[in-house]
Amino acid sequence: MDTLFRLVSLQSSDQQSSFNSSRTSSSSRSSKANHQLFHHPFQNQQELDKYREECGNNYHLCVDEDFSSSSSSKHLQPHLSTPPTAATTTTASTTHVLFELADFSFPPDLNIDFASPSSSSSAAGGGGGRWAAQLLLECARAVAARDSQRVQQLMWMLNELASPYGDTEQKVASYFLQALFARLTSAGPRTLRTLAAASDRTCSFDSTRRTALRFQELSPWSSFGHVAANGAILESFLDAAAGGGGSPQPQRLHILDLSNTFCTQWPTLLEALATRSADDTPHLSITTVVSSASPSAAVQRVMREIGQRMEKFARLMGVPFKFNVIHHAGDLSELDLDRLDLREGGSALLAVNCVNALHSVSPAGSRRDLFIAALRRLQPLIVTVVEEEADLQPASAGDGGGEEGEEGFLKVFRESLRFFSAYFDSLEESFPRTSNERLALERAAGRAVVDLVACPAAESAERRETAAGWSLRMRAAGFAPAAFSEDVADDVRALLRRYREGWSMRSAEEADDPGGAAPGIFLAWKDQPVVWASAWKP
Amino acid sequence: MSNSTSISEEASVSSEMRAHDFSKSLSSLFTPITPPHHQQQQQEPQPKSKKKRSQPGNPDPDAEVIALSPKTLMATNRFVCEICNKGFQRDQNLQLHRRGHNLPWKLRQRSSKDGARKRVYVCPEPTCVHHHPSRALGDLTGIKKHYSRKHGEKKWRCDRCSKIYAVHSDWKAHVKTCGTREYRCDCGALFSRKDSFITHRAFCDALAEENARLIAANTDASAAATMIPTTINPPLLHHPLYHSSSSSYSLPNPNPNPSPYQLKPEGPSRSLLHPYYLHHLQTTTTSSSSSPHLSATALLQGASTMDPITTSSAAGAAGGGQRGCSMSDAGDPSAWPRSDNLTRDFLGAVAGETGEEELLSLTGALGLDLVTAASRDRRDHSKRFAGFPPVTETWGDR
Repeated sequence: MDTLFRLVSLQSSDQQSSFNSSRTSSSSRSSKANHQLFHHPFQNQQELDKYREECGNNYHLCVDEDFSSSSSSKHLQPHLSTPPTAATTTTASTTHVLFELADFSFPPDLNIDFASPSSSSSAAGGGGGRWAAQLLLECARAVAARDSQRVQQLMWMLNELASPYGDTEQKVASYFLQALFARLTSAGPRTLRTLAAASDRTCSFDSTRRTALRFQELSPWSSFGHVAANGAILESFLDAAAGGGGSPQPQRLHILDLSNTFCTQWPTLLEALATRSADDTPHLSITTVVSSASPSAAVQRVMREIGQRMEKFARLMGVPFKFNVIHHAGDLSELDLDRLDLREGGSALLAVNCVNALHSVSPAGSRRDLFIAALRRLQPLIVTVVEEEADLQPASAGDGGGEEGEEGFLKVFRESLRFFSAYFDSLEESFPRTSNERLALERAAGRAVVDLVACPAAESAERRETAAGWSLRMRAAGFAPAAFSEDVADDVRALLRRYREGWSMRSAEEADDPGGAAPGIFLAWKDQPVVWASAWKP
Repeated sequence: MSNSTSISEEASVSSEMRAHDFSKSLSSLFTPITPPHHQQQQQEPQPKSKKKRSQPGNPDPDAEVIALSPKTLMATNRFVCEICNKGFQRDQNLQLHRRGHNLPWKLRQRSSKDGARKRVYVCPEPTCVHHHPSRALGDLTGIKKHYSRKHGEKKWRCDRCSKIYAVHSDWKAHVKTCGTREYRCDCGALFSRKDSFITHRAFCDALAEENARLIAANTDASAAATMIPTTINPPLLHHPLYHSSSSSYSLPNPNPNPSPYQLKPEGPSRSLLHPYYLHHLQTTTTSSSSSPHLSATALLQGASTMDPITTSSAAGAAGGGQRGCSMSDAGDPSAWPRSDNLTRDFLGAVAGETGEEELLSLTGALGLDLVTAASRDRRDHSKRFAGFPPVTETWGDR
């Protein structure tokens, strides 16, 4: 069940088995597997025994009180204070462990977390509080401080509680734990490759389509950016076409699509173009660039199928249409934009659509700035930028992507935790209880987390920046923000109305910075901005 | 009428001008949104356009052209009762109201007999198409609404979607239908949201290649045809083509109620039917909506409703270019009581025999009675076509 850890299994000790009996099924499965986890850090059997002795007994006592609340016959213990103190008297050798626990007031934290009974989770210890965030942060700090013992304890505890099939807290714990483990074992890139290969095996047009469409149906996370971008592109194109007096000749629009949403943005744009007027529908060309570090055959097949469907659909709508797919291996900044014939010999107006694309450019050096400058050189009519709002830039500004120090790591970790907790939370509330699509999305997020936590920033394609950060870059490259019109804003608001509660839209303009630190609009989940959409003109 | 006296000083167009002087100089590609009440005056040559219905604002050449000021057009309640200060848009209404106060009232008769010419109105906005007398609108209410719609401020907004309207009655009409319309894809999926329907449709398995190709070929002829009235069906049923090709297959108990859709027969006889089909279109487009918006959406739905019948046939037919259907019938899909699986399986199993195809397509359209009746025959057919790749696989996209 717990596929995260595939190491050699240890034999369970008696203590552990008695431990297991008091647990519910989900965590008992994971507890069998968790022993596998700790095979690696232990140097020898001696240490293992000592560890078991230290942790097993005491944790047995402490944890038993709290974690088996749902299944054990024992009453739910509101406070953890008595067991540790009782345990301290058992053996002298165990005291220092508990002192450590008591030092950073571990138990009281746990009290708060687990005391509140969980309403939805059946797993032991799945609390109403934000235990995952706290434990993970503690663990990250321990990793940064290279405190192996604490790391082991915390990871062990997390492993007990985490599960990719549980509630939001458990899921977050599970994926971040996987990433931390990869970092500890310096297996970040390898883990990432394994996970990517695993997902590639099951990747098909059907599964991709199902996931993407279901996601858009249940959550405005991606459709927010799509609606805003389509509105901006269409309006700017119509203004330019009308203003330029191009009514005798049919207008041509070329869109350079840099996105990871598999062209699900374009059908609505095609429909809008078609319904505007049946007589002089402009010609639309879309050049989609799919860039990945390792191009996979599955993605190529998927894109080919997508292309066919788009062409059929455009024919159905009566829109003259041309579709190109570019599979680019490597960083997006290496793409030679001039070779793509984006202006079609000068007759087409160019719009650039970047949905989650800018953050895939490596933050190393000035690649991002160079890439944006390259976009500027294309002299597009409009550039729409949709990004996820998270400050995951490496802390060291000078290097811009070298090996990050402890502080940098902690900052990225904290921010990733915040962002992905919101993401997982929104997925949990939007999708039904059991959903393969959501699982696929969560796994993809898990891969991103591994990338962020365990892989060097220079090769990372997940280093998102805040709206303010991107705005600075865009301005520096020579773009000026283009505000969304009221119509587009209305469309977005209407879009949000179609989804469940919890989503809101807000303008990115800061009240205290009238110059507009970040133009555009935010999609907020429970008042936390998560997605940013903006439009820029040269 | 007091109307004309008050505006005569503002009238800038003398009655010397004739509307038809301008008609030749204007291209007529302007498509208004939904002005159903604009009267169609007789006009000489039909403007060349894809729409079969003539553009609004082609007035009687002898009509008197009147230009009103924006203020006049936007004004409401110009006629005020002196007793209670109630405002009325028309003098007639005021007079009737005055009766209630026992005031002397007089209803003016419309003096259409004594040489008073028909009045047509032009839009005061210079950039507007209707600014030219040759494109004047024939109705005062019409020009007022037009002015508000095109050049006025949109004050009424729909809650559900984000559409805004300048004219209150437009808004009311929209709110009635907004959100109540459901979108059904071929594959059977039902959507309440248009955008998710569109996105689904674009990637749906049921999107047929041949269908689209034929649509493109027929776009010139069929762009305007969206709704086909039900009365067309009986003639189609008795089309001699069916009789000639239905030699081996007896049509069981044709459903007396014609289906809402006009079914275009397909198969190798397509070329034969083409002129018939086109002719049909030309005679049946009177009721089609002029809105490109509707026609495009109807394209989506029309294809969807037609597909179940034609997809299987085309899948079976050699060469694949056998689609006879077009976008022309977009009836209300939800009104069609069909069982997708049954229809599809049935028709898919019989692919390859074009003669029967047409009839089977027809039976599919005529309602479930036939389908169930034909399904009895399906078992026989399916045996013969056991080797045929299951068509349902390609487009069952549940």
